[in-house]
Amino acid sequence: NSKIGRNAKQSGRPVKVINVYKKPPVGRLGDKVLVTIEHEKKKAYIVGCKQRQQTLVPKFDSNNVVLVDDNGQPLGTRIRAPIPSCLRANTDPNFVKILSLATTFV
Amino acid sequence: ANMKIELCSYSGYKIYPGHGKRIVKVDGRVFQFLNGKCEASHKMKRNPREINWTVLYRRKHKKGNLEEIAKKRTRRTTKFTRAVTGLSLAEIQAKRNQKPEVRKAQREQAIRAAKEKQKAKDALKKQQKTQASRTSQPKVKPTMKGGAATKPRVGGKR
Repeated sequence: NSKIGRNAKQSGRPVKVINVYKKPPVGRLGDKVLVTIEHEKKKAYIVGCKQRQQTLVPKFDSNNVVLVDDNGQPLGTRIRAPIPSCLRANTDPNFVKILSLATTFV
Repeated sequence: ANMKIELCSYSGYKIYPGHGKRIVKVDGRVFQFLNGKCEASHKMKRNPREINWTVLYRRKHKKGNLEEIAKKRTRRTTKFTRAVTGLSLAEIQAKRNQKPEVRKAQREQAIRAAKEKQKAKDALKKQQKTQASRTSQPKVKPTMKGGAATKPRVGGKR
């Protein structure tokens, strides 16, 4: 629920992924990506994918992303959308912060 | 991983691990589907309560033995003694725990006492009657006359 996030939702401008920080630049669950939002570039982590997943991973009806600043700190204070619990296995410190903000897990 | 057996959000069947799909909708609602059939029905916006093979339908139309089992578990209200304004709890308990012989003896006593009372009453009554019959007759008439005379006069004056 960061300011930018809220603004983006209100203005209806979709967030777009412009870069994926991975070798084959395909973004999947848990990947860090660069994102344009409200004429700005921000980093983000993918937390929900429309793509078909493995058996125990839930599929989302929308691609969800958690905005993060350059240091990896999440921009908002809370994450309302459910986050797949398979991401809990990530010991990446930034991810742990995201998970601690989450309210519901799927 | 969570090895929890979930219920299909559409059909109500159990989903064992390794089966089915989980979907998160845009509004954050999570659905578990047992198979493509359930998922497809949901996408077609079919209401599970109208689809014969789902658990929701069966519950709605009361098919099967679910209801009987539920109804048999009737509640039993627990009785427990409470103190009443007249008697405290201890007194009630004492009364209840009295032995039958004691109770009988009490009853007999009470009966005897009542009989005595009754006898006394009767005797009194008889005495009063005999007294009254001797003196009442002359007394009754003059009072009646006087009363009868005064009443209509008052009404007439008005």
